[in-house]
Amino acid sequence: MRMKAKLAGSVAGALALATAMPAAASEDMTDARITVAMTETIAGYNPYGDAVVLIGSLWCKVYGCLTRFDFDEGQFVPYLAESVEAIDETTWHVHLREDWVRHNGDPVLAEDVVHSIDRMQNDPGSVRQFVVDPIESSRAIDDLTVEIVTHEPMATLPDNLSLLTVTSKALHDEHGSDMYREHPYGAGPYRLVEVSAGEHMILERVDDHPMVSPTNPQQIMYRIIAEPEARVTALANDEVQIAQGIPPQLVDRADDLDNARIEFANSVEMMFLAMNPSTHPWDVPEARQAVAHAIDREAIVQALLGGQATLLHGAVGEGQFGYDPDFRTPYEHDPDRARELLESADLVGVEIDFYTPVGRYVQDRQIAEAMVPMLEQAGFTVNLQTPEWSTLWSNVQSGGVPFYYMGRGQMLDPSRALHQYFRTDGSPRLDFSDPELDELFDAERQEFDPDRRLERMQEAIAALTEAAPAHFLWLHQLAWGVSEGIDYTPRPADRVDGWDIHVRAGD
Amino acid sequence: MNAETLSFDERFGYLLQPKALFGLMMLALLVAAGLFAPWLAPFDPQHQNLMMALTPPQPAGPHLLGTDHVGRDLLSRIIYGARVSLLIAIAVVGFSGIVGVVLGVVSGYFGRWVDSVIQKILEVFWAFPPLLLAIAIVAFLGQGLAIVILALASQRWIPYCRLARAETMTLREREFVVAARSLGAGHIRLLRRHILPNVLPSTIVVATFAMATAIISEAALSFLGLGVPPAIPTWGGMLADARSYISTSWWMALFPGLCIFVTVLGINLLGDVLRARFDPKMKSH
Amino acid sequence: MLGYITRRLLGVIPVLLMVSLIVFMLMHAAPGDPVSMLISDEASPEDRARVAAAWGLDQPVWVQYLNFLQNAVMLDFGDSFRYQQPVIDLVLERLPASLELALYATLMAVIVGIPLGIWAAARPNSIVDTLASFGGFFGISMPNFWLGIMLILIFAGQLNLLPSGGRMSWGDEIPRLTGFLTVDAVLQGRWGELRLAFVHLLLPTVVLGTAMTGIIMQLTRASMLENLAEDYVMTARAKGVRARTILWLHAFRNALVSVITIIGLEFGALLSGAIIVETIFSWPGIGQLLIQGIGARDFPLITGLVIIYTALFVLLNLLIDVLYTIVDPRIRMR
Repeated sequence: MRMKAKLAGSVAGALALATAMPAAASEDMTDARITVAMTETIAGYNPYGDAVVLIGSLWCKVYGCLTRFDFDEGQFVPYLAESVEAIDETTWHVHLREDWVRHNGDPVLAEDVVHSIDRMQNDPGSVRQFVVDPIESSRAIDDLTVEIVTHEPMATLPDNLSLLTVTSKALHDEHGSDMYREHPYGAGPYRLVEVSAGEHMILERVDDHPMVSPTNPQQIMYRIIAEPEARVTALANDEVQIAQGIPPQLVDRADDLDNARIEFANSVEMMFLAMNPSTHPWDVPEARQAVAHAIDREAIVQALLGGQATLLHGAVGEGQFGYDPDFRTPYEHDPDRARELLESADLVGVEIDFYTPVGRYVQDRQIAEAMVPMLEQAGFTVNLQTPEWSTLWSNVQSGGVPFYYMGRGQMLDPSRALHQYFRTDGSPRLDFSDPELDELFDAERQEFDPDRRLERMQEAIAALTEAAPAHFLWLHQLAWGVSEGIDYTPRPADRVDGWDIHVRAGD
Repeated sequence: MNAETLSFDERFGYLLQPKALFGLMMLALLVAAGLFAPWLAPFDPQHQNLMMALTPPQPAGPHLLGTDHVGRDLLSRIIYGARVSLLIAIAVVGFSGIVGVVLGVVSGYFGRWVDSVIQKILEVFWAFPPLLLAIAIVAFLGQGLAIVILALASQRWIPYCRLARAETMTLREREFVVAARSLGAGHIRLLRRHILPNVLPSTIVVATFAMATAIISEAALSFLGLGVPPAIPTWGGMLADARSYISTSWWMALFPGLCIFVTVLGINLLGDVLRARFDPKMKSH
Repeated sequence: MLGYITRRLLGVIPVLLMVSLIVFMLMHAAPGDPVSMLISDEASPEDRARVAAAWGLDQPVWVQYLNFLQNAVMLDFGDSFRYQQPVIDLVLERLPASLELALYATLMAVIVGIPLGIWAAARPNSIVDTLASFGGFFGISMPNFWLGIMLILIFAGQLNLLPSGGRMSWGDEIPRLTGFLTVDAVLQGRWGELRLAFVHLLLPTVVLGTAMTGIIMQLTRASMLENLAEDYVMTARAKGVRARTILWLHAFRNALVSVITIIGLEFGALLSGAIIVETIFSWPGIGQLLIQGIGARDFPLITGLVIIYTALFVLLNLLIDVLYTIVDPRIRMR
């Protein structure tokens, strides 16, 4: 009746099984079709043209990416690549596997990888250049080997390669960008059936692909349902089988459904309060520390998030690279200490503008509202500003927003994110600069030995937390609604991969 | 039913009916609530108590109508909210009503190029997304009440204008207007004495409904962070807060919604009274 | 008349120019830039510059505007930044969904609102009048999102009678002819799909139609009352024509001018203002497209949509004006 629990949701397991006995006879495979309700939008057919993390991961499922993050092993493992090895500090060799072919029978070649790096960088529709920014050059050594040279030593290249969608050079030469719509042949375990921009995307299982198992759904529709109540209702009606983003106040209702349950996944999106040291009073460390002491995270998580968040000590939590279970933040909730710090800097009554997004993150505006009295108790005079999201986001990116509540996702490995926000000249978002921290960050990025790199990262995060250019708050526990007929354990980082979804027999 | 009783009804009936008095009282009550908010509200509308968040209504107190997501007293927020919400409604409806009716009457009465120009302006405004306007103004002037009123009023004059124009066009050719014109009445006099009063009834209907939509639309702006600053309680803002809790905390949406309902009802009854008093045709019988 | 219509249609040109110019200026004046909304959270400044250049956003605003005008003449509004396909395709794909929904909502409002309004006017302050008015006010006092979510919770959730959203169930799609699903289903004789299309239409139609029903009912009532008090009705009564005929023929005909006006206005408002309903019911219409476009600062999409709206509204106004002359021959369009 049921899949063995061990196998269900285990990527490594599924992979091993499938490779051992490839091309399971198709009559044994489930013909179930499932619908996944999503919260964000779908841009279109161009696999380089979508900045949404979840959709990016779907393109990796269709076309294939070079590596992927194995959530069970907690690290990046080869995917389209058979191996990824560092030859020296800046040179890497990627060996492609021979046995996987595209959905039209073409092989995946080294020139495809070189071509894809170029598309990622130069396709007029690409919005994911950051993936290949560190790459200086790439060339095909033979049909199955690519040499990649990075600008500077970078141990985290395999992370970037997990986002590199490998499309076909031959098809692009023949059809140009029409290939994305007319000939979307990848080498991944699911093939593209249809995309309706802003509405839905349908994928179909590639039955003889080594990564699929017989219980993976035959077709998956990823459908946008923006309204949370509608997502829960659709789950209750069996209109959808997996629903993303169940807000805290609806978790009980969804979990009480006869035909569905709630599964939690830690997000890898750190929520934090950013304090821009080039603006007053955030140039005064005591003011920043006062904020960190003033916020009662516990109370907010209980009252507004239904307890569904993991308090952060530092920038990362369990399951993310750089997590140190022994590290405690020096800034626990302590309103008296906050007041003292502000008094000592002679800043009591200082006026601050506090910016929060509205409707972007779970309960964002509500959380910011709850923080206002806490900050005022410490002695700040707070003007809560709720600019429209695009206004705020553009302003944060171009710099100069003094004090804001924000999230930063895609942090399985926090290196890129921490460099972006906290390294001198990493970006204009925070204008923070600390030479000692810069050294720690660089040391981390240039360390190729994983164990030693972990230590470096932990050191950097501890020093960063102490310096408090930002107060790290929590990781949301994201609630997913899952139908009873489905075995699916949601992954951190917004992945809904077909190979993780198993349809129970008999349903 | 015959004509005599009908006109009597129209002239005096509403004033004497308890329904009308009731409606007027309702309005007075809301206005008074807003005016005397600091003395009436049991709590500070800004005071939060996270431990008391989402308390259902307590008939025995202290939170008669319950609390919101951060534990603020709903009754106090509704009382304070009356100030800004009624102000928004009156300002938006007053401004757009006057502009719309004047433009509409002029457009319909003079016709030809005047009509053509006014209708083209109307079409420009109609097709234009008010949201974009709001975003641009907020960027230059910051969040505030005036921006909300401006953004809301930017399109709301259109219905008045189209309606007044349509009615003016039919009136223009009516016997009593033609007669007055042939007796040498000037444009201004004609418009004021014969056209404007006849346009009033439909204007009042539109205004009644526009009151509600103005208050509710403020909620839509709040969703995007473009409403009045979050520190100021408004019914629209409360509705926006309530959206996430519709299935779990019914009281958050119900009470501000009821206030809007009462406002609309009161305005409508007041409108009926006004209509009966100012409609020249009804007086003549 | 024909000359008038031609003049009005030509009049769309200055309106379009004005609208496009204002939209263009405001879009560029508004904070928030399309590149920030388009690229990944992780992009570097160089990436931003590259994307800006790819979309021509590094050029002066007036150059961008002239380019836009040049292409717009050929009905080419460029490619959407976010969706990377021609704006005109996106809009035409979704316009039928919005039109269909707006048409059914209007139909509902007219079928329910006008008879109720007449009835209420015939017996002012009767039970029917009072109840209908209360209903109307209640309808307008409820925010769309509240009514929409409530209906979903009750009819899709509790009773499980209707789908929670979308236009059609997965697997029941029919080949697209007009884009109006109910029409397509009839044309192809797919009766099962016709039923499904209606089932999906029902809830959003009710939500959109409720407020409109209230206002049409009230306006019909007010206009009827006004006209019933007029001399000609008195005259007709004196001549002994049956009261019912008087009501219908004379008063209603005159009230119709106002009622048609408000129907036109509300229909237009439904086209541009159904954003919340489209979002709640995952309805793939142009209202959602516009708000997403504004959110993403998707310049070509915004301008393209506003141009389409302008054209629609100009046509709608013209249609209403022509209807006036049919309903009330005294009205002359000059």
